Amino acid sequence: MTISHFVHQRRSPTVMKLAAAMVGVALLTSACGDGSADDTAAAATGGGLKGKTIDFVGYGKDNPWGAYFNSVFTAKLEAEGAKIVDLTTMDPGTAVTNFNQAISNRPDLIVAALLDTSSMVVPIKKAKQANIPVLVFDGRPDPSVDGDVMQVLSDSEALGTAAAQNLVEGLKAQGKDSGSIIAITGTKSGFASQDRMKGFEAELAKTPGYKIVDVQDGNWDPTLSGKIATQLFAKYGCAGIQGAYGMADYQALPIIAAAKQAGCAVAGKNGVVVTGSNCFKVGIDAIKDGTLYGTATEDPGTIAEQTAAYVARYFNGEKPPAKELVKEERVTAANVAQYAEQCTKA
Amino acid sequence: MNALSTPARLDAPASPRGRQRSRADVVINVIVVLAVLAAIVVGLSTHRFATVANAKAIITSASLVGIAALGLTLITIGGSAVSLAIAPTVAAVGMMFLSAQSLGLVPALAIALLCGVVITGVQGAVVGYAAANPVVLTIAASFAITGLAIGISGGASVAPTGSGYDHLNATPGGVALSVYVLIVLAVAVEWTLRRTGFGRSLYLIGANRPAARVAGLPVGRTTAVAWLGAGALFAVTAAFTAAFNTSANVNLGGTLTFDAIAAVLAGGTSIAGGRGSALRTLAGAVLIAGVSDILLLRGYSTGVQIMVKGLIVLFVVVIVHLRTKGSRA
Repeated sequence: MTISHFVHQRRSPTVMKLAAAMVGVALLTSACGDGSADDTAAAATGGGLKGKTIDFVGYGKDNPWGAYFNSVFTAKLEAEGAKIVDLTTMDPGTAVTNFNQAISNRPDLIVAALLDTSSMVVPIKKAKQANIPVLVFDGRPDPSVDGDVMQVLSDSEALGTAAAQNLVEGLKAQGKDSGSIIAITGTKSGFASQDRMKGFEAELAKTPGYKIVDVQDGNWDPTLSGKIATQLFAKYGCAGIQGAYGMADYQALPIIAAAKQAGCAVAGKNGVVVTGSNCFKVGIDAIKDGTLYGTATEDPGTIAEQTAAYVARYFNGEKPPAKELVKEERVTAANVAQYAEQCTKA
Repeated sequence: MNALSTPARLDAPASPRGRQRSRADVVINVIVVLAVLAAIVVGLSTHRFATVANAKAIITSASLVGIAALGLTLITIGGSAVSLAIAPTVAAVGMMFLSAQSLGLVPALAIALLCGVVITGVQGAVVGYAAANPVVLTIAASFAITGLAIGISGGASVAPTGSGYDHLNATPGGVALSVYVLIVLAVAVEWTLRRTGFGRSLYLIGANRPAARVAGLPVGRTTAVAWLGAGALFAVTAAFTAAFNTSANVNLGGTLTFDAIAAVLAGGTSIAGGRGSALRTLAGAVLIAGVSDILLLRGYSTGVQIMVKGLIVLFVVVIVHLRTKGSRA
């Protein structure tokens, strides 16, 4: 028997005991917590932010949008005396775990982004049972818990509408009354993508000459979006695509690169008109270069400011409306200078 | 030693097969031929599949995954299974590449190559000299690389600081530059594997590491060099990917790790090491891109494409396993 084997034999039971102890403590804690909901939320609705604890189950810093949102949101609230417990992640499974952790922490408020709306239904219901108020930001929750949370939401339909308006405007400027359009979306199963497509299709339907010929799930992945765009330009040819919608700027730019690699003209008098939405610095640069026709806001700074302001009003007892939409703006070459600053943070 | 350094045919069966084995091989070959024929028939019956534009799209789609997969081929043939840190490495190197654009394209490429070689080479040295488990090590490395990249960038996307990167999006002769680079690199890696002492040692180390060590082969150094080469190839992928997307953040690599593994395995390279080739990996990358293309042309969703990619890998792995088992029988 080797030393390492001996050590291994000795360590395993210790690890097991430690794990068992941790599970025991966790179970005891959760058992004590269950059913003893107090009126923390009610008590929190007054007296301002000072001393309030906010468990923040937001997007992880590995997402550029989330990173900037978190920096603005956290700085705003901490400056007013709130304590922010960082439980951010980009992993949907971890988000559920973190949300449950937040419930057991019994904060004054949970602020959450819903990476997976379905898996968050049960945690939201548990928070309600525990009488812990929840504020959801960016994407809307599952309809079954819509009334159980406060909401500061991106106006996804408006973003889709803006994208369609960009394409219609760009195509009309080229003198085209008809054309075929492709769309590469974010995660198709998510409400954000669905709502944007709803707004996009509704706006485009007002101009019957423009038809959506293909909608593909780009999963908010720029590399995948580029691959799909490469295949779509091969499928339809340059003459078969007049407009393209990449649901985020970082998806629209690979579409432009794919079009160029396929030998298709982009923008100009007769090139493919491409639009993005949730604006990023590279999108703003591309609008200035003339390769991207337009985008729309949904920048993290604006929604972070509005969410932080909502939290402040809530703790000041101002009873803000249960649901607020962030006003989204359409951005093209005509007004890009106005939005350049707010769109270059992520 | 001489025998070890000059294996005649690395894909050749190691021992004579019996009649029963021969029958099994015939069945496997028939299945493979039928699968290839079915893919060809489905492809040719798909509208717009057999066009020049579509052929370009397939090889363009295959090029970025293919270059990374060539790097992984070196790792896999050398018996280090796979690296699970490809996507984070590509993301971090891509960020470096774009942020160095103000220095010009060539210095930015040199910095990217250096970063890729160092990041992956260090892992290779640990695997080669300390016999660390490559899967466990690269999982840890992927967390470390991502964490470091977030720490330095603050999680923000990196935009190019110059315009030199756009040369990588060129299309000489109407074909993406990355395709030419893929072909040149595939030939270079294949030549290195087949015609150099390093390549032959790598096969032998991958086939039987303890035997190679006993035979006096430089196991640690050969493994580390293979990973260094892989790092350089990951860096090339990073530069092209970042240039194509015009921005880079820690998610730039996307599903590249598993796409590269799929290309290597679909090409028939053995996950156990000691078998495979760069040209097979090239074929694997094109096969997967081609099948994804057929599915997209036929209107199937991204989800179906991913599922079929998994089935292809499973099919090839089973075939390779059966053949390997046969050759050892």
